[in-house]
Amino acid sequence: MSVLRPFRAADMFSFNNINLDVWTETYGLAFYLNYLSTWPDLCYVQAAPSGRLMGYILGNAEGSSSDIHGHVTALTVAPEYRRLSLARRMTALLEFVSEEAYHAFFVDLFVRCNNDVAIDMYEGMGYSVWRRIRHYYGSLGVGSRGKDEEDAFDMRKPLSRDPSRRSVRPNGREMIVEHVA
Amino acid sequence: MERQIRPIYEALDTGSNKSAILACNKLLKKHPKNELIKTLKALALVRSQKVEESLVLCDEVLAAKPTNDAVLTAMMHVLRGLGRHKDMVSMFEQACKLEPSNEDLAGQLFFANARILNWKAAQQISTRMHKQFHQDRYIYWSVLSAILQANDPATAPSMRTLLYKLAHRLVTSSPTPSYVNSDRFHLHLSILRELELFDEARTLLDSEVGKNICAASLACNELRRDIWRVQGLFEEEGVKAKARISEQNDRNWLEFLSLLDATLPVKGDEKLDESKCREQLAETQEFLTKLAETDGVKDRSALLALLELEKRARSHGLSSDASRMVDLMKQYFDKIGDKACCYEDLKPYLVLETDDAASWTSFLQSLTPSFANTNDLRRLINCHKLLRQNLTPDDLNISAEACHWAPDLPPTELQPADDLALLAANAFVSLWKLSNDAKYLYNAVALLEFALTKSKQSFHSRLLLIRIYRLLGASSMAVEHYRAMQIKQVQLDTLSHFILSQASLFSLASTGDLTYITECLEASQIYISNTQDTGEYIARAFMNEKYSQIPEFIIFEDRLENSLQRDIVKIEHLRMRLTHEPISSDIIDMELIELKFIFDRLHHDNRDFGILADYQPRVSEKLNEQTLLLNKSEGAGWLSTFLKIYIRAFQQGSDLDDSVEEKLLIGDRPRQMVPAGNLKERLRERRDEDMAELTPDEVMFVNYATALADWLEPYHDHARPPPSVVLAEAAKQTELKTGHPLKGVEIPPKNGSTNGSTKKDEEPPAVTDAPEVVVRYFDAMKARFEEAKSSPTLALHVATMMQEGFLLFVAETFRFKAPSVVKVNKLGALVQQFKPLRANAVTLLREVSASLIKQGELDGTAEQRKLFVDGCSMLSALNIDHDFVLGVAKKLTDSRKKTVGEVGKGMARLCTTYNN
Repeated sequence: MSVLRPFRAADMFSFNNINLDVWTETYGLAFYLNYLSTWPDLCYVQAAPSGRLMGYILGNAEGSSSDIHGHVTALTVAPEYRRLSLARRMTALLEFVSEEAYHAFFVDLFVRCNNDVAIDMYEGMGYSVWRRIRHYYGSLGVGSRGKDEEDAFDMRKPLSRDPSRRSVRPNGREMIVEHVA
Repeated sequence: MERQIRPIYEALDTGSNKSAILACNKLLKKHPKNELIKTLKALALVRSQKVEESLVLCDEVLAAKPTNDAVLTAMMHVLRGLGRHKDMVSMFEQACKLEPSNEDLAGQLFFANARILNWKAAQQISTRMHKQFHQDRYIYWSVLSAILQANDPATAPSMRTLLYKLAHRLVTSSPTPSYVNSDRFHLHLSILRELELFDEARTLLDSEVGKNICAASLACNELRRDIWRVQGLFEEEGVKAKARISEQNDRNWLEFLSLLDATLPVKGDEKLDESKCREQLAETQEFLTKLAETDGVKDRSALLALLELEKRARSHGLSSDASRMVDLMKQYFDKIGDKACCYEDLKPYLVLETDDAASWTSFLQSLTPSFANTNDLRRLINCHKLLRQNLTPDDLNISAEACHWAPDLPPTELQPADDLALLAANAFVSLWKLSNDAKYLYNAVALLEFALTKSKQSFHSRLLLIRIYRLLGASSMAVEHYRAMQIKQVQLDTLSHFILSQASLFSLASTGDLTYITECLEASQIYISNTQDTGEYIARAFMNEKYSQIPEFIIFEDRLENSLQRDIVKIEHLRMRLTHEPISSDIIDMELIELKFIFDRLHHDNRDFGILADYQPRVSEKLNEQTLLLNKSEGAGWLSTFLKIYIRAFQQGSDLDDSVEEKLLIGDRPRQMVPAGNLKERLRERRDEDMAELTPDEVMFVNYATALADWLEPYHDHARPPPSVVLAEAAKQTELKTGHPLKGVEIPPKNGSTNGSTKKDEEPPAVTDAPEVVVRYFDAMKARFEEAKSSPTLALHVATMMQEGFLLFVAETFRFKAPSVVKVNKLGALVQQFKPLRANAVTLLREVSASLIKQGELDGTAEQRKLFVDGCSMLSALNIDHDFVLGVAKKLTDSRKKTVGEVGKGMARLCTTYNN
């Protein structure tokens, strides 16, 4: 059981149990305030009844005409609250609002190519790889899985405005781009 | 021209302020009147901390009443840098008058007012903007401004409803309905809730478009739910919630709460219709039981809702089955026990009657421990956490093997085992608290360090280690772990207390080591970005019409701006600074102004204490309290006490009285929230609840400081040069620096004095003996030090409070160091009194210093390491390598050696500096 509610600026005072995890980045104030002042309806938290934060999602909507899409910028759940479908529920709401409020055709997100757990999860939620972006994450350098550690998959999920599933292609993993357009 | 100016912008963008100034100077020779160049130069000057020079240019540009977009934009940055937000308002007012049809300028004027929270003006401006530019959004700017004015604490309560009514009239006057945009809709609803116009709210919410908005906007739906609740429509809301849960598969806990509230209130005094309640109870139980079966382990909401419902049924005496509560808990554990959150989920239900408690405990004890896989391990950990939570005081005595599960630590090196190490560390801390035997802390340190080798990113282990290392006086180890967590941005406000609380007692700034001073400055960065960024995004939210966010941003900005931690760090920084920089009138003046700004803030405590992994039993003290340095947590009372001491001391030592400060101070004054009385009287005020936040040694320091200030006040007042002389001197300095006279200051005709020390006609106040408290302070603290020696942290605390007393003495007597001041003011007899006081303090401080240095050397010996290793015998069953434990022992003792020894050396150095 968790409360799904809007992300509020003051939540920054209490997201330590989520953000101290090494895989979650803490950005400057401007980053969060920019999201909240532009797409507040795409930013949510999950909280325990005690008020303790469990996870959050920050998203945006961009593009024009048939490229309008929702985008998951940050999705994170504190270690002790994983495996409770929190990420799934937050993403589902983001998809719904992308469609209802922004008339999006698809939702996309970027994930490190070596993050098999996350990739599996997103595939389970209906996302598939659209393309591979070189050097998207520069921070860790090249490790045991070579370029997988710094490259990102751009994964997409078609919404009902894309009935012909134009945001899905079978060979997405082979579509390599150097930069995000 | 544009081609010539571009390099200036580039220099500014890259932070090369020097070359920007040079480029401006060059261009100004050709175009001495150019406002843009002047403004850009002013900006470069502000950014290079050359405030006085910048002011001159800034005033020139303001006087020219600019309307040019580039000039205004650059001026915004200049004025913001100088803290002159009110001037920003007048600048845009002027510009708007000159160009009344310029919509952008009007918008800027609106934002400038919003920046200083002048919502009344903002409301009027936006109303005018709507009339003139016919954009619907300006109506909503005006609506929100009226609401924000109503919510402002400075607004009279009687005005509140009027302003909301105004907002309501404005919303309904909009040519387009509010539902065209969910944030306008949200704003509209919030007015209706406040004015209790429920029928109107209902019409909006029951409409098709209203329903659609609420479905896609959590914020609007939140407000809708609230409006329903305020009206007491629980049953209706319950029906809706039930439908959402069963038909739309919604698992938001808020829906379950609505369902529960419709069934049984949490606890109310009102008389319930018992038979109806029983009926509803049975119905909801059945619904939830079925749901729990369908959801299985996929979602725990229904299972937990059953528990919550049973708890409520019991509190109303409606529970029909005595064993149901524990049965539900067992069921919960069976299904969810392998999830990490199980313990936290069950925690609210663990307060049980004797029989239930026994049944629950025996259930947990009967579980067969298994480490076979991660799930089993999590189950085991949850079981231990739950058992520990319910330990009674009897279970907690030392003879009970409270850390009996420590040997359970599996060799599997799984990360979930972190929690076992944390549990054991919690138990060790309890044992330490009961026995006061440091060996339990040694065990905790070795175990947590070991856990970190297996799970390098366990921030919970690090946080607890920081606390324990500080308790043991191993300050550099605490800093090492703190830095490894890469705390940054807003976390600096919530988490820096882990190493900066009472940090001046570990600071080695007196020896030139700036570790803690750097941490203080770094932690303070976030407040600067708050000032720069948050206001910007408030304006952005207006532009984007995200009205729901604006009140939140304002609260956020205020909480950060007036953060308690911010000013606690400020005090710690000041205390360290005084040990590092020579005490001078510059420091005294600057700190005085800063501290006075802080003094009237209404502070918010944003510190995160809940982050510590606390697995202590319900009856025990919390882990946070157990591991606080010196057993105290600094709060608003602590802060206010130290502020009073230093403001009073610096006010006495400074020549800047209020009238001088008024003339010299740049920028806006802090917004006065509390009705300020006479500052002098308020500085003398002492409240018992404030003193309760202080350690006994800090109380001694406060008594000493108060007596010292009471004693010296009349002499300072006598010797302080009159404001006219101070101002004349300041004007002279400014003119030397900038080549321009100081604005608004008239230099009085000179009357023979050259160095500011005017010959006094009146007699000095009679010199009295130093008060007993002042005379005895250093002896008393020395005696305290002898008692405290066995605890490294307490010894450091007493020693540094003694040192602080000495530095305060130096600051308080600084004015009387100049022989000319003593002579003109005829205070020779007073200065004679200082000599024996100072000599006594120096002698005693040197003794304490020598003792600390000796203690430091002792800490570095093999015996100390052996003591640690021997103390860790409780960990032998874990097969932790002996060399590993020895390594931890070495790091800890070396760190303590450094802290204790260097504080001692720094103290000796200060004695030499201020020996006469």
